[in-house]
Amino acid sequence: MKVLLIEDNLELASSISEFLAREGYICEVSYNIRDAQDKLISFQYDCVLLDIMLPDGNGLQILSFMRLERVQSSILILSAKNSLDDKIAGLEEGADDYLTKPFHLPELHARLRAIYRRKKLNGSNMITFNEISLNIDTLEAHVNGTLLDMTRKEFDLLLYFIVNKNRVLSRQSIAAHLWGDYTDNLANFDFVYQHVKNIRKKISAANGTDYIGTVYGLGYKFNTSKQ
Amino acid sequence: MKLVDRFTLWFLGITMLIIPVNSFITYQSIKREIDKAAIERLKHVNVRVAGQIERGEVPGEYSQGCKIKVETTAAGHPVDVYEVTEKDVTHDPELKDNDRKITVASFHTINNKHYKIISGDYVSRSEQILAGLRTSIMWKLIILICLVVLTARLASRFVLAPFYGTLKKLQRFNLKLKKKLVLPPTRTKELQELNCFVSKMTDKAVDDYNSLKEFAENASHELQTPLAIIRSKLELLSESDIQGEQAVLITDMQNAVDKLTRINRSLILLSRLENNEYETEEEVNLSHYTQEAVNAFGDLVSLKSLTLQCNIDTNVDVRLHASLADILLNNLISNAIRHNIPGGSIEVSLNRRCLVISNTGLPPEGATEDMFQRFKKGSQSNNSIGIGLSIVKQICDMNSFEIRYHYTSDRHHVEVFFAGEANSSKLLQNDERYLQEKYQL
Repeated sequence: MKVLLIEDNLELASSISEFLAREGYICEVSYNIRDAQDKLISFQYDCVLLDIMLPDGNGLQILSFMRLERVQSSILILSAKNSLDDKIAGLEEGADDYLTKPFHLPELHARLRAIYRRKKLNGSNMITFNEISLNIDTLEAHVNGTLLDMTRKEFDLLLYFIVNKNRVLSRQSIAAHLWGDYTDNLANFDFVYQHVKNIRKKISAANGTDYIGTVYGLGYKFNTSKQ
Repeated sequence: MKLVDRFTLWFLGITMLIIPVNSFITYQSIKREIDKAAIERLKHVNVRVAGQIERGEVPGEYSQGCKIKVETTAAGHPVDVYEVTEKDVTHDPELKDNDRKITVASFHTINNKHYKIISGDYVSRSEQILAGLRTSIMWKLIILICLVVLTARLASRFVLAPFYGTLKKLQRFNLKLKKKLVLPPTRTKELQELNCFVSKMTDKAVDDYNSLKEFAENASHELQTPLAIIRSKLELLSESDIQGEQAVLITDMQNAVDKLTRINRSLILLSRLENNEYETEEEVNLSHYTQEAVNAFGDLVSLKSLTLQCNIDTNVDVRLHASLADILLNNLISNAIRHNIPGGSIEVSLNRRCLVISNTGLPPEGATEDMFQRFKKGSQSNNSIGIGLSIVKQICDMNSFEIRYHYTSDRHHVEVFFAGEANSSKLLQNDERYLQEKYQL
């Protein structure tokens, strides 16, 4: 997947592009609107990651520019502005999703994948990894053909693991993914442990491989090298 | 009381005071003038009678309509001295009508004989003058009151129109619209000053509000980006080959960044609330929101092996911004989950009057009055940042809800009463009506 990152902060841009590069994305970076417009006209991108506050103007200009030039990329807005009005303005202008800073990189990846699934692989609502298959539409998870009895949160968590496979996922990032802003109010992340435990139990019960490993001190990892 | 009524009353009061005093003076001066004229006339009569005597004619009993009396007196009285007497004479006892008689006595020396000539005449009595005055005063008063009451209202409609215009504009003034106040022009000096002052004040308020809002936005942006950098770098670092001890350090750092993020986000929300950015005219179905919030926390409740009891009335409509309803409920319910004991219970009940969330828990350590202040926590042990309840309080204050907390029989109770809203809006409506009345005169 080819991604254009429009972000004026060099440090953040390098973090994101490094992260996406590890995932096998081709990531181009623009630091301002003019450069981004040049790139959008000259090349084709699957997705645009767009920061709203840019040195030479408001990032929302890019949205109208893309509409004008009929650029068919998906757009994910990254913004420090988290007010409802800003989100509505962004989404109404044609963005596909809106992520407020500071975000977790795995969360960015999960959202990016979700947008990609929706836009490019239309009709393909199945995510499969070895014996595990997830149906995004019906929220059903199968292991070796057996339907797992999962809660919505467990399904989301398993999807998050598979999208971010071979990556260390901290309890915070899992909590933020499952609960959004409400993690602000949670006393601890014990419930993440509970959810992970339940998923592992359910996969093992269906004779699946337990890919989820604990990374000491950091969190969890969906390890594809386990057989 | 209206301004114009105040002035009218004041004016009428003065009139009431002035008119009796004035009529007393009038009465006195009319009486004096009548007397003076009568005395002058009688003096002339006396002189004429003296002339007749001098010519040797015998004066009659009446001369020029006045009764006269001529006496001879001993010498010694100075010439040209008049004695004036007044007396009320009962002319006809049956009529019970007193006349006032003025008599003038003068002394004359004619042909070495001394005469005292007394002439008398009847003049209007003071009561008769008074009676005439009373009618005129009454008419004067009636006409004055009617004219004052009528014209004051008419005049104030023109004179005070800019003032009421300013009042109306001020009442409709809303900082959120960020529109500067345009006040009606006036030629009255005081109103010009008032308008000048008011527009200076509101312009400053608008400017301050804008800069504050800008600051809140900038602060959010300026802090969120470095936080995003730290968080992303830590995530990249955690994926590299690290040892156990380093992992613990990274986790600690991630926790700190998380906390910083939460504090930042909460403070921005608080400043937004204080800026009244979440005003709403619509009512939301709180029953629906409460049910959703309870459902959303279902997992957490079961993970902590708590029991949750709901008692939610249907169709409870409350005037509240939808996002605020979410924040309020989430903060309260997650508090109830956090400050609970293993195996404890939570009870959520909602009716038209109030929302009550009660939960089992350890007794609060600090003073419960400080509970709703920022960064005050019941206990220091947990991971909370102590701002959730002050956000809840701010939301309640903004929407005129009343929030109460008490700890009884091993349970924390947080109650939010919606009743306050109706009172305040009624008060506002009254104000509006009052002003409307005033403006329309």
